[in-house]
Amino acid sequence: MTLRFLLPLLLLAAPLAASAQLAEAQVRLKSAITEVLTVADRAGNRSALPEKLRPVLEKHVSFETMTKRSVGPGWRQFTPEQQQQATQLFSTLIIRSYSSKFTPGEHPAITYQTAVEPAAGRVDVPTSMVYQGSHYTVIYRMEQVQGWRITDVVIEGVSLIANYRSQLDAQFKKGGANAVISSLTQSVSRPQ
Amino acid sequence: MKFRASTLRLLLLAVSPLLTDCSSSATKTAVKPGAESASTVAATTAKSKVKAGDKGAPGSGAAKDEEVDEYATTTADVSDPLQPLNRGTFWLNDKLYTFILRPISKGYELILPRPVRKGIDNAFENVKYPIRVVNCTLQGKFKRAGQETGKFVVNTVGGVGGIFQPAEKIPALANLPNEDTAQTFGKWGIPSGPYLVLPLLGPSSLRDTVGLAGDYVLNPVNWPYFWYYSNQSKHQWVIVPPLANTLRATPAQMNTYDTVTKDAVDPYLSARSSYSQSRAEAIKK
Repeated sequence: MTLRFLLPLLLLAAPLAASAQLAEAQVRLKSAITEVLTVADRAGNRSALPEKLRPVLEKHVSFETMTKRSVGPGWRQFTPEQQQQATQLFSTLIIRSYSSKFTPGEHPAITYQTAVEPAAGRVDVPTSMVYQGSHYTVIYRMEQVQGWRITDVVIEGVSLIANYRSQLDAQFKKGGANAVISSLTQSVSRPQ
Repeated sequence: MKFRASTLRLLLLAVSPLLTDCSSSATKTAVKPGAESASTVAATTAKSKVKAGDKGAPGSGAAKDEEVDEYATTTADVSDPLQPLNRGTFWLNDKLYTFILRPISKGYELILPRPVRKGIDNAFENVKYPIRVVNCTLQGKFKRAGQETGKFVVNTVGGVGGIFQPAEKIPALANLPNEDTAQTFGKWGIPSGPYLVLPLLGPSSLRDTVGLAGDYVLNPVNWPYFWYYSNQSKHQWVIVPPLANTLRATPAQMNTYDTVTKDAVDPYLSARSSYSQSRAEAIKK
């Protein structure tokens, strides 16, 4: 009797659980973007933006995962200190790059499309964005890293991770972890 | 006459590497230096490492193949046998942008406010309708060709010659992906060929360079120019539409260049990766 009642419920629950995951990731992304925009508006001038945005972004973006993927297989030959150093440098670079795209007070109009699950524990949220009169297709790739976090951003088909992978992999082949770190240091210290 | 001779020369120039490329493609893939295909090398080294027993990673034993993530490795990097030459052109372009194009672009942005520039951009994009409709048709996207035609009519009539974009308010006509000749070649299965950095124009590939010639011919702003050369007439004004088109497109080009190179570790590789990724995506759409 109970089984007969429960079975359809159980069958229903499986797809529901999957879509619940999608919804959860999407909600998380929306709140992250709102939070970032609020902080950006309060920052006032652009030079203060990276500093103001860092704590918010660190909460929603997994820079460790990003750095690891951007380096690629060479990451295993990094010592834990080198991994930490590379993550620190890479996050500085990404945050600075991201901040420079902002004009405080100007908000993009974002339309969220149906999220998809390319693999277990992963969610892609495609969005289309209108910013300063231009259309952009942006896919946020999210993963479970202590809660849903952004691990890659694909703008107009260009994946941030794939882009840096092509550069950092070349550095790694040239001179291992040290070359990667020194090239990152150089990029970070380059005047704006 | 003059026009015909120069086009022939251009076509020959464009096609000749293609011909030689075909004949030697087999040997080329065999001798291809390992460093060129970063992603495939990455994948194979990772595989061998996994086989070897994952000893090089203290504390990340559970990391599996996470670094060799499918996101990054499936995106094909373009082959770049002419890298030394390309890097040279890239360096030259950087200087050209810094000392010539950027000042021009800044001046243009200073003189005209953003809404006016947007209107001018819209009008020039609207005029490029033949590029889009011909390539939609060549790719068999007949529905899209119809949409493009609808968009062109609505924007031309309702948007005062395309300065405004009322079609963007119509869901069926809004935000259509861009089409060009090189995308048609890609759709037909023609591979991108070697990566090329063109003087002034920047990142391209052999296929896309040939495609640019198609776009050039299909762009109505160049039509008076052709007519001028075929008739040897005295109308100097024909140079104005293509020049204006180049000028109005410069700020966007500078902006893209900055976005791609400013925070890069290796600006050349960043531009190459961004270009090949975005082209692969554009062909899919």
